[in-house]
Amino acid sequence: MSKYSVIGKRVHRVDGPEKVTGSAKYTFDIVLHNMLYGKILRSPYPHARIVNIDTSQAERLIGVKAVVTGKDTLGRKQSTWRRFPELCDEEILCRTKVRYIGDPVAAVAAIDEDTAEEALDLIEVEYELLPAVFDPMEAIKEEAPQIHEGVELNINVTRHIEWGDVDEAFKQCDYIREDHFKCSSQAHVCMETHCAVASFGYDSKLTIWTSTQSSYYIQALVADMLGLREGDVRVIKPHTGGGFGSKFELDSAQFCASLLSMKLCQPVKIVLSREEEFTATKRRTPMYYSVKLGAKKDGTMLAKEVRVITEGGAYTGMGATALYLTGFFSSFPYKYPNYRYDGYRAYTNTAPASAMRGFGAPQSTFVGESQIDMLAEDLGIDPIEIRRKNGMTPDYEVPGQAHIQSCGLHQCLDKIDEHIKERGELPPNRGIGVSAYGFMSGGIFNWFDTPYAFSAAIVRINIDGKVDLFTGACDIGQGSDTTLSMICAEELGVHLDDIRIHAADTGICPADLGAWGSRETLMNGNAVKMAAADAKRQLLEFAAAKLGANIVYDMDIKDQWVHMVDRPERGLSYFDIVKDTIRGRDGETIIGRGHYTPHRKGMISPAYSFGVQAAEVEVDTETGKYKLINVTTAHESGTVINPVGIEGQLEGAVMMAGGYGFCEDQPMDEGKILNPSIADYKLIRSLDMPETKILEVDTYEPEGPFGAKEAGEGLTNPTAGAIGNAVYKAVGVRINDLPITPEKVLKALKEKKQQAE
Amino acid sequence: MKKELRFTVNGQPYELYIKPKTILVEVLRAHLGLTGTKRGCDSSSCGACTVILNGMAVKSCSVLALQANGGEVLTVEGLAKGNELHPLQKAFLDHGAFQCGFCTSGMLMSSKALLDENPNPTKEQIKEGIDGNICRCTGYNSIIRALTGVVKGEYKEEK
Amino acid sequence: MSYHCPVCNKVSSSAMDLARHMIGRGDKVHRDWISSKGFKYSEFLTLQFKSFGGEGYKTLAKILEKETKVED
Ligand code: FES
Ligand code: FES
Ligand SMILES: [Zn+2]
Repeated sequence: MSKYSVIGKRVHRVDGPEKVTGSAKYTFDIVLHNMLYGKILRSPYPHARIVNIDTSQAERLIGVKAVVTGKDTLGRKQSTWRRFPELCDEEILCRTKVRYIGDPVAAVAAIDEDTAEEALDLIEVEYELLPAVFDPMEAIKEEAPQIHEGVELNINVTRHIEWGDVDEAFKQCDYIREDHFKCSSQAHVCMETHCAVASFGYDSKLTIWTSTQSSYYIQALVADMLGLREGDVRVIKPHTGGGFGSKFELDSAQFCASLLSMKLCQPVKIVLSREEEFTATKRRTPMYYSVKLGAKKDGTMLAKEVRVITEGGAYTGMGATALYLTGFFSSFPYKYPNYRYDGYRAYTNTAPASAMRGFGAPQSTFVGESQIDMLAEDLGIDPIEIRRKNGMTPDYEVPGQAHIQSCGLHQCLDKIDEHIKERGELPPNRGIGVSAYGFMSGGIFNWFDTPYAFSAAIVRINIDGKVDLFTGACDIGQGSDTTLSMICAEELGVHLDDIRIHAADTGICPADLGAWGSRETLMNGNAVKMAAADAKRQLLEFAAAKLGANIVYDMDIKDQWVHMVDRPERGLSYFDIVKDTIRGRDGETIIGRGHYTPHRKGMISPAYSFGVQAAEVEVDTETGKYKLINVTTAHESGTVINPVGIEGQLEGAVMMAGGYGFCEDQPMDEGKILNPSIADYKLIRSLDMPETKILEVDTYEPEGPFGAKEAGEGLTNPTAGAIGNAVYKAVGVRINDLPITPEKVLKALKEKKQQAE
Repeated sequence: MKKELRFTVNGQPYELYIKPKTILVEVLRAHLGLTGTKRGCDSSSCGACTVILNGMAVKSCSVLALQANGGEVLTVEGLAKGNELHPLQKAFLDHGAFQCGFCTSGMLMSSKALLDENPNPTKEQIKEGIDGNICRCTGYNSIIRALTGVVKGEYKEEK
Repeated sequence: MSYHCPVCNKVSSSAMDLARHMIGRGDKVHRDWISSKGFKYSEFLTLQFKSFGGEGYKTLAKILEKETKVED
């Protein structure tokens, strides 16, 4: 029997009943009294100087209440890089220059959306067109137009990671290969588009309801941008229709709604259209990879050198972190004794490229896992075997970067090996490709320069035993409200339905950096566990006195029973102890507090999870079309807190990461995204969805709450690589640029045939 | 010129005056306050707005409200009977067939229409039945399992 | 032995590390120092991403080796 009574159980999500009945309220659903509707005017040009904006006609339209432009702002630039002022480069409402098609230039508030839309047409913007550059390889040339003042060669950030002696190591290699890859962009396609309702009142306080991954970041950034005190800005996250990395920066809906509301002292709602969502919010960072890999004859990899140039788009966003993480995860999940990474992020006149689920690691994993298969084939070694030979193991030190404690990679390799053997002989044109990966459990980076703990929680126990859990964690669909409630219930020894969670409202919850980089389970989980333990301690003090327990006995609570650990029959009801404790201390409420910030945990993350995936495809050699038959994943994420949640993360990741490998793409022409609608942007739908199978591997992560770690984002990493390897196994063609479309497969098949002739 | 619209929604008759071009989803959400029905696109391609009109699943963003004149609409709010959930809702809860929940209302209505028409669909028919509905979170398989559970009779409707 | 950044005084343990620091920072003050030695920041960068082997850093490191070494 499990030693846990709540965690590890298959439970209903705490937000489930609301969500299946349509009663869950999203920002998209909020309507306030006296509320206005806003719309944003965006640049039709990729690069232009704003000569003049004439809003007078728009202002005269009946029903229009206000029009704002860059002139109405404080002229500040922002990003989440508050520690690095040179990377705070986005004004949101441009004052002098637009840098991509979609850059905001004005915003309107009107009595309804139609009127606001009509007003946009009446705003006259005079632009002076500037030469533009779209390709990062072109942007870094001497003659390219400069996108941000003073930024030479449009180089926005560079990142370098190195250990060992790479040059020397290559001399010792028996075999070296150099390859080039291109990783495409990808749209997040949250079903709820970015939206916000902002309400600034005559009390000079601003409240924002918004679809966000970090209410704390939005609070702080809005305050900075509008010259308000953080405490006067309250950000509330209602139910949120997906994030996937697109919703933890300050966006145009939040900023423009706030600015308009401040001007009018009336609530303003802005919902981005699906087209704006595709063209004017951030997206996955496209990357150009050159990789040199050296190994001994027996498959031991001695050295790897990686150069990456990323297409940054017009602003920094979280692209600098994507650049760093793609460099770090290019070494994953293997033990390279010598490693060198150089990454460059170039500004271009395209929509800003930033964070998306996996944060640079899906790109590096596609590249790394494709190349290791090529190496294995050249050396005549089995793909599983070469991964076994070089794979990370528990308690491994990535030199100067990270300490990996728990790691179940080898067990995962064993399970996938078995799975492949079980599939047996495959029919012609079918193949199974393998891909191994690892990912972090929350970043250690503090570029936001927060003075607060990374995560914090408060537990309050009411007289009837019901527990209020306050946390800044943001449930965007991934299920953190459920996972954290489970952790709280387990630690406190009560039932899941004894917990009521209040999350992501900066007015009542302690600050938390939010839902990105797979932080919530480990970081907020630790904070919640500590807060629950603190509250429990207060109850146990009372219980010990009441039971007259010998001082040598430890006390605990389990299943609402307060008892001595060694003599569980000696105890009292949790409900009685709660009442007595509150009475006994003059009515003072029981409040437990917890917080977590990683200290001395290396450069990246306090913990890493690992896995191996096998994708099976069947290729039609006549058309190049292929079908995803089955995706089987062996993975480990420490102690499983919420098994239903993990299954959902895994299957959802196959849809998203499979899409990245299989069909999702954002073709552009002169900076214009050509498929900005769900009709034209191809997503995996139910008929394309492969069978999914999960093979669990047990591990325990000492740094995580109850031994848990990351369980959702890393699963986005392996699939594109597994698909690429599977296509190769099936029909012998290798595609180095994503997505692996039927056209590319067909072309490669033709070339292969020609070469054979 | 506003026109009269008479129809029933979740069994409740309504009589409203609307602009002729108003789409059904607007009437449901803005006029009747039934915000369970969502919108995820402006190209009739995501299915988040799916409701049942006269027994058929329709995308309420691509239907004029006046087309529902004299008709019967069922939205997600009409699935449960008081606090007794519909079998599909129970199955979605058990199988974790949703995460962010934004596609869920549409997904439930497409599923209901499918099972009303064919109470014993094959797995392939289930996949076809929800192919017009995009879910960015779950990867569909949990939804397919939930429907399979209902088809197998694991979730009986209380009479 | 240590190497001190002539601009912001950051201490590195090798000239190579210091070169990485200077190119990596890449702000105006660091670039200006590089130009004052008759080189172009952009040239170092171009060298870096044109070939494997970290040539840009190596070139800058040669200059830093002479100019910024501090015996401790
Ligand atoms: S809102 Fe997308 S199909 Fe109706
Ligand atoms: S649950 Fe989020 S889109 Fe389906
Ligand atoms: Zn310096």
